[in-house]
Amino acid sequence: MFVELDAPAPVAVRAVPPPSRSARLRRAGRSLVPYLYLAPGLVLLGIWVYRPLVQTGQLSFFSWNLLPTTPMVPVGFENYERLFTLPEFGTSIWRTVVLVLGLLPFTVVVPVAVGLLARRVRGRAAVIYQALVFAPLLIAPVAGAAVWQWLLDPRSGAINQVLGTTTNWLQEPGPAQLAIIVITGWHVLGFAVLVVAAGLAGISDDYAGAAALDGATPGQVTRWITLPLLSPTLVFLVLMTVLLSAQWSFPLIDTLTNGGPAGATTNVYYLLWDYGFHSFDAGLGAAAGVIFFAGFGVIAAALVALSDRVTFHDN
Amino acid sequence: MSRIQIEGLTRRFGAVTAVDHVDLDVPDGDFLVLLGPSGCGKSTLLRMLAGLTPPSAGRILLDGRDITATPPRDRDLAMVFQSYALYPHLTVARNIGFPLRARRRPRPEVASRTETVARVLGLEELLHRRPRELSGGQRQRVALARALVRDPGAFLLDEPLSNLDATLRTATRAELTELHRRLGSTFVHVTHDQVEAMTMATRIAVLNAGRLEQVGTAAQVYDEPASVFVAGFLGSPAMGLLPGRIEHVEGSLRVLAPDVDIPLGGPDPEDAGREVVLGIRAEHLLLVEPTAAPRPGAALLRGTVRLVENLGSEEVAHCLVGDARLPVRGPRPLGLAAGDPVTLTTAPERVHLFDPASGRRLVRRPASAGTAAVSTHVPDLSAVSPS
Ligand SMILES: Nc1ncnc2c1ncn2[C@@H]1O[C@H](COP(=O)(O)OP(=O)(O)O)[C@@H](O)[C@H]1O
Ligand SMILES: [Mg+2]
Repeated sequence: MFVELDAPAPVAVRAVPPPSRSARLRRAGRSLVPYLYLAPGLVLLGIWVYRPLVQTGQLSFFSWNLLPTTPMVPVGFENYERLFTLPEFGTSIWRTVVLVLGLLPFTVVVPVAVGLLARRVRGRAAVIYQALVFAPLLIAPVAGAAVWQWLLDPRSGAINQVLGTTTNWLQEPGPAQLAIIVITGWHVLGFAVLVVAAGLAGISDDYAGAAALDGATPGQVTRWITLPLLSPTLVFLVLMTVLLSAQWSFPLIDTLTNGGPAGATTNVYYLLWDYGFHSFDAGLGAAAGVIFFAGFGVIAAALVALSDRVTFHDN
Repeated sequence: MSRIQIEGLTRRFGAVTAVDHVDLDVPDGDFLVLLGPSGCGKSTLLRMLAGLTPPSAGRILLDGRDITATPPRDRDLAMVFQSYALYPHLTVARNIGFPLRARRRPRPEVASRTETVARVLGLEELLHRRPRELSGGQRQRVALARALVRDPGAFLLDEPLSNLDATLRTATRAELTELHRRLGSTFVHVTHDQVEAMTMATRIAVLNAGRLEQVGTAAQVYDEPASVFVAGFLGSPAMGLLPGRIEHVEGSLRVLAPDVDIPLGGPDPEDAGREVVLGIRAEHLLLVEPTAAPRPGAALLRGTVRLVENLGSEEVAHCLVGDARLPVRGPRPLGLAAGDPVTLTTAPERVHLFDPASGRRLVRRPASAGTAAVSTHVPDLSAVSPS
């Protein structure tokens, strides 16, 4: 007689009793631990970033000249209405756009070119070269500005002597904006080159090797393989440039041109600082700050969304 | 159609010599497997063939043409990387078509070739996906398709199966062999897996620490390993190896070791006293009934069973003979258990002898010379057995 082989016998499982009250509390305590580690950072973030942000929002609805003895007068949306009627508000945005576009070569184009060319530099030479490129970032902007002021001097400055020009760099609108862009670019170039070098180092050599065997010329490898794979780095640099150009240039503008001549170098950051601390119109400065915060927030969100779409990760 | 010749190829990385004076001749249509443990220089050798790593010394010839300094794109070789190196930002279709686009082929040709190759490899459904949306096996196929699309002179494959699971690996192995048979192109296939080497290769080149140990057919490297390294590397379980000494006893040569006595036959008094390493494959050791009286003149090995492994159809008993471990393989059940004393015998012609210092195989010269000689030179492809 044939009998069927038994399936493996089910294993008796004893249900674990539901956790008691104290056990539940203990578990809740355990899940709290990571937040405790985060707490110091969050507290500082709250005190130094979000509290001022909220206060700026509040301040934008008052009229106040920053003197502790003067009362703050609530004015509703008047600061915002004034802001949008002032012509310098629009022109400062336009100058910020020019600044960002002017800086992109320094933060993206030149670093990529340098990064691609410098890939062959190895060992000690690479360390020295990277230190050289990175050095300007370590120079305090104000100290750098002092040297540049001297270099840009209309009569005895080295720049005019080398170029054979007599331009009064910091006193003529176009040249002043150009000078601010170039000096800011000189400052951040090293950082951007390092970011590009790190991005390139993260791309496996196998891709370039495979492409070379597949018949691609070095130029094709760069255009079809390396640059697309570098896209997350490039998007990061564009994002940094758009969001931070005005801040990077601030110490230089404040030392070299004070936003002049005739407002030619006044970008959005310098403008809101000017409202608050030159014109002592704290409410107007705060309103400008709120508007720019919202504007940059929207731009950043759009760029991040775009970067998810256009970048490819080497996985 | 491509014949690849390598002459004294060497690559050093600082103090490390990754590839050390390798000479190889891969005839057109060969399926050469470069076999060796991890870190022995297989990838470096393959990358030098591809032109991705410049050699420190030596020459590479493709169909008699010196290509040592030729850039990779002019070599007419296709390579499948261990990482597959699929371009992550391109779809499967564009990955496969890349070699044709890079060579500026007309668009319709790129499309039709891509489609043909995708059909051959069963990738039609995947043409619009990106590499990260593929499984390991699918990626491997796309990498293969990208190599196939251009009809190159030779294929270089760097451990293409190592990222696949066991079932897929067996299936892909058969497919690659079939592909080679159909295309008739030259394949150079790198692997650390001896089963892959034995099943796929028309010739196997065994590498150890950057040096070529032996080149030959699967049967040659398995049946006549040219060195202790090859003997121990190929075969599962690995060949049992134990130190011994040749003695001249009563007019004939014998190999003696503690608990071991194997007759070699023939009077060769010159070899008496020579130290050797003795190797016997697990399947060539036979159990002798403990009660039976030993046949006079038969090889005899005595030891103790340490462990018995069940392989399903067969069993492997790991025996301790003297200080050496000798695996014995036989049909199941062997009737042995750990701790049992065993008496083993073997056919003298199944015994491999190696020089303990150089590790090279010892072969008997024809009677005229009458001595065992160390074969010191590494044979090239035309001379597969040591001379
Ligand atoms: N780019 C490199 N720089 C330094 N050492 C390397 C480099 N590539 C390989 N090696 C060394 O060369 C030896 C052989 O490496 P490889 O050819 O990758 O071995 P395999 O492919 O056989 O595992 C290893 O010791 C490895 O560390
Ligand atoms: Mg390797």
